[in-house]
Amino acid sequence: MDKSPHSLTGRRPAPHWLAHLRLALHYGDRPWSALTIGMALLTILLMLSIGLLLWGDSSQARAAFGLSFLKPTSDASWNPVSGNFQAWPFIYGTLATSLMSLVLAVPISLGVAIFLAELCPTWLRMPLGWLFELLAAIPSVVYGLWGIFVFLPTVVEPMGNFLASTLGELPMLTLFFHGPMPASGSSLLAAGLVLSIMITPTIAAITRDVFLAVPLTQREASLALGATSWETIWKVLLPYGMSGILGAVILGLGRALGETMAVTMVVGNSIGGSLSLMRPGYTMSSIIANEFAEAVTVLHSQALIEIALVLFIMTLLLNILARLLVWRVGRGIPQEARA
Amino acid sequence: MTTGTNLWLGVSTRQMIQSKAGYRRRKLSNIFMLAITGLFTLLALIPLFWIIGYVIYKGGQYINLDFFIHLPRPLGITGGGVLNAIEGTLLLTILAGLFAVPPGILAAYYVSYKPNTLLGIVVRFGTDVLSGVPSIVIGLFCYALIVKNQGHYSALAGGIALAILMLPTIIRTTEEMIKLVPHSLREGSLALGSPEWKTALSVTLPAASQGIITGILLGIARASGETAPLLFTALGNDNYNVGKIIQAGIGNHQNIFTILGMIINQPVDSLPLTLWKYAQQPYPERINQSWAAALVLMILVLSLNILTRVWVQLRANRIHGK
Amino acid sequence: MLRKYNTLFVVMMVTALLLSACGSSTSTPSSTSLPASSVQINGAGATFPLPVYTEWIYAYQYVDPSVTLNYQGIGSGGGKKAIIDNTVDFAGSDSLVTADEYTAGKDLQMYPMVAGAVVPIYNVEGVTQTLTLDGNVLVGIYNASITKWNDSAIAALNPDINLPDKSITAVHRSDGSGTTEIFTNALSSFSADWKSKVGAGTSVEWPVDKAGNGIGGKGNQGVAAAVQNTPNSIGYVELSYAIANKIAYANMINKAGNKVTANADSLASAMNDFANTFTDELTNIIVDGPGVNSWPIAGYTYIVLHTTSMTDCVKAQKLLDFLKWALSDAGAAKRAADLGYSVLPDAVRTQVLAKLGAVTCNGTPVLSNS
Repeated sequence: MDKSPHSLTGRRPAPHWLAHLRLALHYGDRPWSALTIGMALLTILLMLSIGLLLWGDSSQARAAFGLSFLKPTSDASWNPVSGNFQAWPFIYGTLATSLMSLVLAVPISLGVAIFLAELCPTWLRMPLGWLFELLAAIPSVVYGLWGIFVFLPTVVEPMGNFLASTLGELPMLTLFFHGPMPASGSSLLAAGLVLSIMITPTIAAITRDVFLAVPLTQREASLALGATSWETIWKVLLPYGMSGILGAVILGLGRALGETMAVTMVVGNSIGGSLSLMRPGYTMSSIIANEFAEAVTVLHSQALIEIALVLFIMTLLLNILARLLVWRVGRGIPQEARA
Repeated sequence: MTTGTNLWLGVSTRQMIQSKAGYRRRKLSNIFMLAITGLFTLLALIPLFWIIGYVIYKGGQYINLDFFIHLPRPLGITGGGVLNAIEGTLLLTILAGLFAVPPGILAAYYVSYKPNTLLGIVVRFGTDVLSGVPSIVIGLFCYALIVKNQGHYSALAGGIALAILMLPTIIRTTEEMIKLVPHSLREGSLALGSPEWKTALSVTLPAASQGIITGILLGIARASGETAPLLFTALGNDNYNVGKIIQAGIGNHQNIFTILGMIINQPVDSLPLTLWKYAQQPYPERINQSWAAALVLMILVLSLNILTRVWVQLRANRIHGK
Repeated sequence: MLRKYNTLFVVMMVTALLLSACGSSTSTPSSTSLPASSVQINGAGATFPLPVYTEWIYAYQYVDPSVTLNYQGIGSGGGKKAIIDNTVDFAGSDSLVTADEYTAGKDLQMYPMVAGAVVPIYNVEGVTQTLTLDGNVLVGIYNASITKWNDSAIAALNPDINLPDKSITAVHRSDGSGTTEIFTNALSSFSADWKSKVGAGTSVEWPVDKAGNGIGGKGNQGVAAAVQNTPNSIGYVELSYAIANKIAYANMINKAGNKVTANADSLASAMNDFANTFTDELTNIIVDGPGVNSWPIAGYTYIVLHTTSMTDCVKAQKLLDFLKWALSDAGAAKRAADLGYSVLPDAVRTQVLAKLGAVTCNGTPVLSNS
């Protein structure tokens, strides 16, 4: 293959090193590179500093508990008075609520994004988009209050009772679906539902923009080949925007993992030892939010920071997992198909 | 196109395309799936209208002009408002935007063009992990870094905490949007002799601007609704009033930098913070005010969204000569 | 490009700022616009006394317009941390400063300001009268040994009330709080078994949770909402909260064997029971008092200050003047009482004022004429 830079005038192409030098010294490019690299480094610095802070400020707790902090056990103890702390109920709660919210939010957000990008009449597109972005702006406290006063009694409690009486009776699922649901509706199910409502706007808005940015040529080529609208969406748009969609989903997952206020208000805040989604639970961010301001002993504060550290590492691992998934899914899609 | 068996069990793709029955099936499945997206949109709209309706219903009863132009008053004294919180929210949002948007866009630019370098991979990791950090932890981080060293709570610390919250959203969306800009656009600009930085600023970023603005607005929407990080950075301030500070500064013949310093170096309140504080208090009057504050916040963010979109649209129209 | 729109935007922002200046100066008393010597004092800490501190701060604007006070309720632990880090000028706390914190803060001192009561609230099917409970019953409910409302222990205290044969759901605070500390201090005093097995603190491990009958509510409101929405439940909230929201709360049988209702008098009696047992640190636990009319679940809320290391003496003077006013002024006392708090009895107040007089700034005492 010809590796030399092409020349417009037909003269002998310049040597590689000269061309590279010229490019490197091009006015403005150096500072620009430095700036972008610098900002990228800043982001890493931020992540490292937070990780370091969490690591350092939990040293006593880590020394005191070791790995037994994480052990899955059905009678885990969280006792600020005696100084015995175990994190398993919170880890389970966070995992359960976040995954539940993803399972619910991703299909719905995709549907919304497809509707907004492809099917919506143009005059409706902007206002509807604004409405969804408004949903993203509602403070988490308001979600919590609405949850307690309206959503839980009206929707979650009947739903939970229904699920407990149907799925909760089946042999395999009874572990996750048995009742009884508390009368107030506070449960892991409530938290999962509220979280799914909270992360839908993020995933939907970004996915919509991803779809809107797919070149018209791609769509038209597919339609010209005789595909129906849905086939175009499913087989052309989705793979093309898969990277962006997964980015949106990861952002949504991040929000779900870290969401504090709304979850605390509806999750029940109780360590019961049951794995059921219909029972009250506790998440990692909730316990930190609930107890940090009033933690009196050093061990208590440090145990809470250790929970934050566990959450941090868990986010890291989940992201590695997601990235592997992207890599596997994206292997079949040509990356340079963009005209 | 994929080969092999199709969604409709046992029917190969070739049969689907080439037979009349297959065509009917595809048509049906098309309508069915599109109807489902419509259904999902309706489903997603239900909580939206429900929550917004609830906030309007509960907050609308207690909102009045006083609410916007007065500072808080104790119980039993009428005419109190949340002016301090409104100003605080605006100030914190501006600060957060200033701190988050330029670094975010620049970092995203680097990552989108060099995704497979070590730095690119690590940065993408970093932003994803950062997006999962609970907001309260970010607050604690800023407390240790800024508040402790400055010796006081401040709007500056709050703005930085919110900026850290916004950063992953901005970086992620900007990166994805830049990647979706056709390569031909960038290469055309470079081929015409434009340097890399000029291409970025006048071709690539404007081409991706719709999505980037979505990311920024989403980030601002989230940041302006956060409470937990502000507890440890901005603290809250019932007597914060920018107008008063400027008046006092002018009265004392202080220069603009001192006045600016005084504006950003004091503890400030914000609408979600006020909401949270009031909602926890025993008094029905405060709880009513907290709903009214929620309504004000929603109006603020909606206005910001609409204004920004309209401004972008006008600018685009101007460019295209409409 | 869009120059005219840019200018318009800037003009709008500036107008908004100036309007806000106008708006505020006509709405607040004109003497509070910052004069040249204005001082800003920041405090943070417990949410328990927040309503009364907010009242006092607002009223103090008229007493001394040159100082602007700001107190935010971020929690006792947050307040103590902040005062140790010197990021606030004073802290409010319901929970006592620990030995480690005294060492870290070097010259911290606690000053009791007001006392508040914690009351049990309930929601029992078919019961509209006021329930009477006692220490043993409360301990029994919260350690899951009393599980039904018609248990003989409860029935014995309420002979005229028809109690249903239903399970008790016990609601507690999920967030750490001084209210929980007061409540668990009381439970520890009622029962040595509770003291050794569970203990007292801002957060504890509730035995009812393990037994499956516990619910955690966030804040007073969370507990009240949980009790309201859950039939046959019991919870505990601050008296001021119960009064403000007209929630029915139970009477208690105190140590002296009398039935008492939580109010200013029973609270004052509780304070007087322990008026002479203040340590040098001016802290005191006032639960389960022996007085005839004492409410058994009560506690002080404190202000925490640095006593010797303050460097801004103008600020220190203004702050201590405010505290002295809050403790001595009759109007301030009335405001507190209206909100459901009790001010210090004279015996205690003199001790606190004396200790305040010992605070120094750069070597010289701040209050020169205490």
